[in-house]
Amino acid sequence: MSPARWRWRDWLSRYGIALAFLALGSALALLTPRFLTAANLLNVLRQISVNALLAFGMTVVILGAGIDLSVGSVLAFSGALAAGLSTAGWPAGLAMAAALLLGGIMGLFNGVFVAYARIAPFIVTLGGLTIFRGATLVYTDGRPITGLPGGFDALGNGVALGVPVPVWVMLAFLGLTHFLLRFTALGRAVYAVGGNEEAARLSGIPVAGTKLFAYAYSGLASALGALVLTGRLNSAQPTAGSGYELDAIAAVVVGGTSLFGGRGGVLGTFVGALIIGVLNNGMNLLDVSAFYQQIVKGGVILAALLIDRLLSVRND
Amino acid sequence: MALLEMRGVEKRFGGVEALKGVDFALEAGEIHALVGENGAGKSTLMKVLSGALLPDAGTVLLDGRRLRARGVAEARRAGVVMVYQELTLVPDLSVAENLFLGRLPALVRHRALERQAAALLQGMGLSIPPEAPLRSLGAGEQQLVAVARAFVQRARVMIFDEPTATLSAGEVERLFELIRRLRGEGVGVAYISHRLEEIFELADRVTVLRDGERVATAPRSELSPERVVALMVGREVRAWRRAEHRPAGALGTFEVEAEGLASLQLELRRGEVVGFGGVVGSGRSEALQAMFGLRGRCRWRGRVLRGPRDALAEGVFLVPPDRKTQGLVLALAAGENVALAVLRRLQRLGVMVRARERSLVDGWFQRLSVRPADPGKPAGTFSGGNQQKLVLAKGLATAPAVLLMEEPTRGVDVATRSELYALLDQLAAGGLSLVVSSSDTEELSGLCDRVLVFRGGRVAAELKAPLRREEVVSHVTGALEVA
Repeated sequence: MSPARWRWRDWLSRYGIALAFLALGSALALLTPRFLTAANLLNVLRQISVNALLAFGMTVVILGAGIDLSVGSVLAFSGALAAGLSTAGWPAGLAMAAALLLGGIMGLFNGVFVAYARIAPFIVTLGGLTIFRGATLVYTDGRPITGLPGGFDALGNGVALGVPVPVWVMLAFLGLTHFLLRFTALGRAVYAVGGNEEAARLSGIPVAGTKLFAYAYSGLASALGALVLTGRLNSAQPTAGSGYELDAIAAVVVGGTSLFGGRGGVLGTFVGALIIGVLNNGMNLLDVSAFYQQIVKGGVILAALLIDRLLSVRND
Repeated sequence: MALLEMRGVEKRFGGVEALKGVDFALEAGEIHALVGENGAGKSTLMKVLSGALLPDAGTVLLDGRRLRARGVAEARRAGVVMVYQELTLVPDLSVAENLFLGRLPALVRHRALERQAAALLQGMGLSIPPEAPLRSLGAGEQQLVAVARAFVQRARVMIFDEPTATLSAGEVERLFELIRRLRGEGVGVAYISHRLEEIFELADRVTVLRDGERVATAPRSELSPERVVALMVGREVRAWRRAEHRPAGALGTFEVEAEGLASLQLELRRGEVVGFGGVVGSGRSEALQAMFGLRGRCRWRGRVLRGPRDALAEGVFLVPPDRKTQGLVLALAAGENVALAVLRRLQRLGVMVRARERSLVDGWFQRLSVRPADPGKPAGTFSGGNQQKLVLAKGLATAPAVLLMEEPTRGVDVATRSELYALLDQLAAGGLSLVVSSSDTEELSGLCDRVLVFRGGRVAAELKAPLRREEVVSHVTGALEVA
């Protein structure tokens, strides 16, 4: 391939997703005047915040050539714990910290089976999905937990400097995850393990420890999503987060991260989550039936993958 | 008329002429051995015959009729079958299903199929249960099933490419029995091997290839092992000759114990270059892997190496044989690959210190003149030779005392190869000890202070400088063992 051609494709595969997002936004702006308003855009950002938080954690796992199907259940259990402890009299901050810790522990649980028992991530986290959901139902007795202290409402529905608090949380976690992946030795190890586990091992990278970290981080991200969701609803639902894993994976994949690991990044995931969010929003504004919305969403995910496949630079 | 005739076959890969107009003929009921050093063109010639490669020029005649096979499937239909080193069977199907693979009816009647298979296997003197899943058999027995398949497919020409590499002595005997049976049924057998004992036991005729040309074809009875070795090596021309340097004082001893390997003690001196020679399956790769803590038990300077991390901590680095699957993370930037084994030294509180990383990477890029000189490009976009330099740079960045290398110049172009040799020589002169496991005898004789030749899991010979390539070839191919 000639250098010029390579650069062109490289550029497209790197920024194509942002370009697609801009195209989508422009189209919607032309189709409906209600789309391009500050209120609506902030609304979109707030709507995607929970999915984006899950997707950021998922990005780390997928970059390490894994998958985490348990995020929705981890979210439910962490949220229930935070709500339960609060109604039992714990200060809101402490209850939230406990929930984050629990999320990390559930992630470690997945990670141990993947990294040390070497069971396929798909199977391990499928097990996690049902185990943690079951644990949530046991803990909540299948009933929602309501009557939360004010701290939750502030987190879920508060506004700071004109921007909803969940959006701030999402952006902060985006920055943290990006920094971690791009500027730390651990992040480099995640890319190496996902890109070529054997080469990473022969280079002395602690492969098992790296995987453990990835799953723990995803658990933490899910717990953070749980706090935002619990705050927004002002209650913890035992069925919260069902099916969220699929939306999170969709955001990662649309954002250009390879499901085989080692290629991609969390900024792309953010754009991926934005695209899905804007698509939902736009179709709502245009009064597209909810039934058709699903078809369109699935079609967009497939199209994104197809384009990525056509553009991806062959490395061999 | 010969059963099969290849005339003037040419094949080039990029700038390399792999076959320069080779003739090859095969009679019905003949075992015709192909010998030659690595890169002589044996496997390429057989891949052309089996339809896996299209020749650039030349013709293949089967029964005097031109065979234009585009692909292995077409060649198979014409009766030309290759048994690969890597198996082409389906591990989860039964032996019977594998035997009749590609000829199975739409509705498989297992009983009938297994009865048929049992009769076939018995007729060949094999006691393999036809209903067993292939997976449950040993590697050797699986290979025998692959050969038995040739009977089902009524092959007219069968090609074997180093079939005995993974077989035990008993299995080799059974394989030879099968091959002789094939000959008895009028099949033409082309047989590639590096082991001269096998060739002198089995072959009716021998063709020697060197550098893509046929240098001789003769009945076995007219050849001696010494003569074959001389034909393989040709005139001693060497692209590269190492500078004279003397290894200094003792550095340490590797004590290796691993399955299938006689216990090995290797004492290394500072700046010494030790070669490991031997055919595939001789144990040289296994020994090298053990020295990096990848199998068995290994002590180096009294310390037990339990894995790559231990080895790296003790100043031992392994350049693996396959840079794409083992050496590099192809999607990562080239520079990031170079830094991969020393991440710990390039961080402060877990955060990568970019300036330190850049100066390290730039230093090695310059020292090894990696092209293109752009560490930001993905490693996968570099040429083979430059990828090898990246792996080497990654290892050298760890400041090792011992560099273990397996096939360090496989698939590397000639120019880069002599560049690498000069570099390795320079490193050795600077006190780095090297252990080079290679199937390239020119590399072994040109680069090393001494060569250990492995056979059947043990060191069968130790050759000391000055090394002659012919001597190395004789030991590696076992020319001396031919009775």
